[in-house]
Amino acid sequence: MDVDHTSKAEVQFNKVPVEFSGKGTEFFGIWIVNVLLSIVTLGIYSAWATVRTKSYFYGNTKLDSHAFSYLAKPLQILKGRLMAIAFFVAYSLVTSFFPIAGLFFSIALVFLFPWIIVQGLRFDSRMTSYRNVRFNFHGTYGKAFVTFILLPIVGMLTVYLAMPWVMKKMNEFVLSNTSYGEQRLSTYIETKQYYLAALMVLVVTVIGVAAIIAIVFAAVGGLDPAAFVGLSTAAQIAGGLVYFSLIFLVSAIFKVKIRNHVFNSSEFEDLAKFRSNMSVLPYFMLISTNFLAIICSLGLAYPWAAIRTARYFANSTQAKISNKADAIIDTNGDHKSSFGDEAADAFDIGVSAI
Amino acid sequence: MKQQLSGTYYFPKTSRAQSVELLVNGEVVNLYQNHKCIMATNTSQLSVSSAIPGVALEVEFLDGGKFIAANSSDRLSLANGKIERLEKSVKWVLASVLMVPLLIWFGIAVLMPKLVTESVKHLPDVVAQEMGEQTFYALKKSILDPSEVAKADREKVISQWQQALDQLGLSKDKFTLHIFKSDFFGANAFALPDGTVVITDDLLISLQDKPDAILAILLHEIGHVQRQHSMRIVAQSISNSIIIAVVFGDLETVAELLVGTGAALVQNAFSRDMEREADNYAFEKLHELGIPATAFADAMQGFLDLNQAHADQPETEKKGLMRYLATHPDIEDRIERANQYGQ
Repeated sequence: MDVDHTSKAEVQFNKVPVEFSGKGTEFFGIWIVNVLLSIVTLGIYSAWATVRTKSYFYGNTKLDSHAFSYLAKPLQILKGRLMAIAFFVAYSLVTSFFPIAGLFFSIALVFLFPWIIVQGLRFDSRMTSYRNVRFNFHGTYGKAFVTFILLPIVGMLTVYLAMPWVMKKMNEFVLSNTSYGEQRLSTYIETKQYYLAALMVLVVTVIGVAAIIAIVFAAVGGLDPAAFVGLSTAAQIAGGLVYFSLIFLVSAIFKVKIRNHVFNSSEFEDLAKFRSNMSVLPYFMLISTNFLAIICSLGLAYPWAAIRTARYFANSTQAKISNKADAIIDTNGDHKSSFGDEAADAFDIGVSAI
Repeated sequence: MKQQLSGTYYFPKTSRAQSVELLVNGEVVNLYQNHKCIMATNTSQLSVSSAIPGVALEVEFLDGGKFIAANSSDRLSLANGKIERLEKSVKWVLASVLMVPLLIWFGIAVLMPKLVTESVKHLPDVVAQEMGEQTFYALKKSILDPSEVAKADREKVISQWQQALDQLGLSKDKFTLHIFKSDFFGANAFALPDGTVVITDDLLISLQDKPDAILAILLHEIGHVQRQHSMRIVAQSISNSIIIAVVFGDLETVAELLVGTGAALVQNAFSRDMEREADNYAFEKLHELGIPATAFADAMQGFLDLNQAHADQPETEKKGLMRYLATHPDIEDRIERANQYGQ
């Protein structure tokens, strides 16, 4: 679906290139040296490493020949990271050594979680700038609590029937609260598309699992669990590959359908429109070859995988920018909280809409 | 020294952009647009981004304006370029490729376990006590049911246990034996860090005629408590998560999965080491009690027979890759080690 709600006479849109110019070999050097420095400084340097990595990807992503910039300072990240680690240690110690007291800690965490999400999104937005104008995030704690705590509970109570709608609500929360300078992102994403994507995932999962069962049945002549134990190493590896392929296929379907829909249905009114034309098979090939390469190289292929993924995303994105792009005002203050962002890292709850 | 870069100037607080030339001459900085000077300032009024290979230089001015160089390899001598030189140096990159895996292995497999083993020794007893009591409470509320074994049989096991504790000079207050029925655990025994030891009905029944074998298993559980294994596992898994999170902070999901799997395999290897440590403890104490270590082999054989009764294939068939997923050593290995100790 194309969005064309605004076509005032004086606004002219021009198609502009979306490029990613990062190189695998170049990023490999940055990455491996930074990992080494992070280890020998007992982790302290990791904050600098994060900033350098992000700067590399932002600086090499160009829209209309203008690069993005990553603005966070290493010390901000370090402070947030230390607090997040302190919190993580306290949480792990309490839940492991005092399980009952840990229960209360977990409940407290439920209330902390929306705050971490909002802080993380705000930090990420404010630390991103394009043409010297920063992004911003306006989501509130209350809305985040409803979206990320209450709605998922509703989703589970409906035996996951409402889950696609809940995911749409989550994406909507992130998108509609994002702004570039003063200009809000408008989004028209539709619940229907999330149900379509979920349906495709469901169908593929059912077919895939049925196929696996059929193959196993043919191979060992039965479904007795005892038969599996006697399988050779080669058969175990083959089984693992089929299993991971199915997981990657399913996640590729969902990612591609939702990313295309989100990009095609969101715009900065009178300023920028986007299109995404990712397709399932190439993206599936991309993530599965990345996975294989990373495993076979014992992790050393990570930089190569990260670069080609970023390039694929850039190549599947088109943008149109209006003649107003030159006159966007940045009104962001200087408030910076890195803690939420790093806590989100340590607890592994990245919220990304696209 | 005179330096000149071409690039784009972004005006303060707006997205307005202009192609410019940046000229740095000593401490004087000038911006030229079509050979016309549009700004004059000095080096104390600006900050230059740290140089990163492949990333264009950025100069931020005090008023919020910003200059981004057009060519991503252009640099100013003002910029800090030490790290960039390492990142571009073939020597450093190769050295890192060698050093990183070595250091990670050393940290996770050698250094951390040592540190953890040493540091849990200094944990106050009250921590182990609380941990044990709270876990025991939670287990009793969930997956442990009252024993259905005849009272006389239970008392026999408990009196044998207390006798052994006396002989070994272990505290009867600390080490308490409890018997429960549990569908969740099946035939099993486990120890909590405060010295609470639990054995299930199923295990008791399967080893009914071999009191020494039961004692061997219970001594193995005491070994876990004495060597502070639960505390070590907890401390180790926390420290491993932190190491991985800090060193690989920016990893994507796939790479995270890989690192996570590696950490789990290492964790299981430790778990197998700890089981062997507890086995050794049991052998020594059996010896002190004048019971042959083969009693332990009998107990393990009991597990084997039990498994065989439930499935056509015994658990020892866990060969190939499955071996690395196991938290316990191979049962046949354990039987062999017990027999060897006996001789």
